[in-house]
Amino acid sequence: MNESASSTPTCGGQRAPASPLAPTPEQRDGPAPLAHFAQMIDHCLDYATAAKAQGHPVVGIMCEYTPREVLLAAGAVPVCLCGGSAATIPAAEQSLPTNLCPLIKSTFGYHVQRSNPFLELADLVVAETTCDGKKKMFELMGLNRPMWILELPHKADTPAALDAWTAEVKKFAAHVEARFGVTLTVEKLRAAIQRMNRERDLRRRLAGLLARDPPPLTGRELLQFSSLISGMEADLVQYERAWRWYSARRGPPAAARAKPVRLLLTGVPTVHGAERVVEIIEASGAVVVCTENCTGLKPLLEDVDPQAADPLAAIARKYEHLPCSIRTVNRRRLETLRTLATAFQPQGVIELVWQGCLTYEVEAVTVQRFVETELKLPYLKLTTDYSPAEAERLRLRVEALVETVRRRWPAGGGGR
Amino acid sequence: MIACGIDAGSRTMKVVLLDADTRQPVRALAADQQPRQAELASALYQRALGEAGLSRFEVAKTVATGYGRDLIVEADTAITEITCHARGVRSLLPAARTLVDIGGQDSKVIHLDAGGVRDFVLNDRCAAGTGRFLELVAQRLGLPLQDLGRAAGRASQPARITSMCAVFAETEIVSLLAQGAAVEDVAAGVLQAVADRVATLGSRGFAPPVVLTGGTALIAGMDQALARALGQELVLAPDPQLTAARGAALLACDWIRGTMLAADS
Repeated sequence: MNESASSTPTCGGQRAPASPLAPTPEQRDGPAPLAHFAQMIDHCLDYATAAKAQGHPVVGIMCEYTPREVLLAAGAVPVCLCGGSAATIPAAEQSLPTNLCPLIKSTFGYHVQRSNPFLELADLVVAETTCDGKKKMFELMGLNRPMWILELPHKADTPAALDAWTAEVKKFAAHVEARFGVTLTVEKLRAAIQRMNRERDLRRRLAGLLARDPPPLTGRELLQFSSLISGMEADLVQYERAWRWYSARRGPPAAARAKPVRLLLTGVPTVHGAERVVEIIEASGAVVVCTENCTGLKPLLEDVDPQAADPLAAIARKYEHLPCSIRTVNRRRLETLRTLATAFQPQGVIELVWQGCLTYEVEAVTVQRFVETELKLPYLKLTTDYSPAEAERLRLRVEALVETVRRRWPAGGGGR
Repeated sequence: MIACGIDAGSRTMKVVLLDADTRQPVRALAADQQPRQAELASALYQRALGEAGLSRFEVAKTVATGYGRDLIVEADTAITEITCHARGVRSLLPAARTLVDIGGQDSKVIHLDAGGVRDFVLNDRCAAGTGRFLELVAQRLGLPLQDLGRAAGRASQPARITSMCAVFAETEIVSLLAQGAAVEDVAAGVLQAVADRVATLGSRGFAPPVVLTGGTALIAGMDQALARALGQELVLAPDPQLTAARGAALLACDWIRGTMLAADS
């Protein structure tokens, strides 16, 4: 750079007047509150280790259908065990087929290698009859781990499904009581419900900030605000702080130069370690303003009534409503997409499907039709796995979607 | 003033120079890819300018596309081959509604509407349905690639290749040849298999007019094979291997004229 240019920052040597604006969150409240969650794994491990030393059971969970309230009420520590690492997949493929979804293989690889400290701490692993790949993988895992399987009805929104699921949640609660020698009183359940409602509310409010145009944080940053363990007080305090911090922030994040295209992400979860796809999307001229999946808003949208006379039935109802692609017919997912599209005003929808996830892959046909005809938005399906070699393939598609949204030449066909 | 498009494709590098005012072609060159593709692009760019009697200072904007688009040092911006193909076809055949590109390492179907790309489907996971597969087959049959289509044209009983996987299809070809199938019949069967594979990309149909583009369209008989697979006539893009480079150059023209949304600038 030319020296004289860099030494004359202001025109005619005049000083810029002091800003009449309120102090920025950085000035008032210190640096962005991402630091706490950058150490998330360490915090969770310390927490789980200390809790276990004090006699609290650690319970591994495999899916958003596991009612965390039941575990919290029992004084247990619910920790998410979904694998997001490509590194554990080769170990899993010694027994699992290669064309199974990477999330299942990665999770199982940790099990085989005994390399997930939370799984090794776990006194119990809770899993569900969701997709076939998981169901059969849990059988293998259950050969040498204590497992409890919740039977999830696959037909959605029928009275019979809700009855069956409620009975299943109550059976689980009874098992937890017997196994850990606790009594799940109505008071304990209500306290757990309130704690989870508070966590959901805080995370919902934080996610809701991305409805702003421009959003004060990116989708990748939002993804950082999550924890393997639910209901930790230290996390709740930090969610609250993050909401205040970003809420006071105006304008786009510093890194964003051109105005990014607003996208809604739906489909499979981007669990810890597998956030790469969101990074690729946001490096291609887009911002993920809303995420309809299990690591996004899906499990946060509905709370549990803390005053319900039968807390377990109220808990069961909330979880039965989760719109996973293993349900048939999964109409709630489309309703959720409509609600979120209205709230977040995306300019396009990306569906992420992990390679080998049959239910999301097939349901994508329905979602595409819905997005294009009902929401009238462009739709792109990305099918990929945890391999970093996939980045270029994904980038090409997302960039093309971004170009399609922006219309590189004027409507009406452009000049010849 | 000159607008330039550079298409760094998986098998070939293409450079197109247009007069930015008239949008008429000034010079177009193509060369086989090489490992150091940035150097190849520079050399081809210089050669195109030299042959047109121009200097690089007369080039107002350069747009790069293709899988190597971010490596091209001459480029002012990079735009995906999906948008560039669409732009290139729109200029030559404004009525086109569907664009099929069978490239070196992928194939794509692009749906167009009045404003440009409506949506697109890509196959870059499976070699069946790509030019690379045809290269492998030509090699296996002992034919230069350009003769594959001519051989297929002489087929009396086109063979049926049933495997959807390029690796297994090659095994199938070996076994067909071992059973005494004619090279011509196998060649015809392979062209049809590639076309059938591409046809599966059109889950949303192929609204006419359908335009075939990409280097593979240069293989004689590829267009008829695809027409059979789609059950409809299609239009062969002129100079099909240059479509994306031409589209990139046209987008550079649009940029110069201020009609492109230069979101990256």
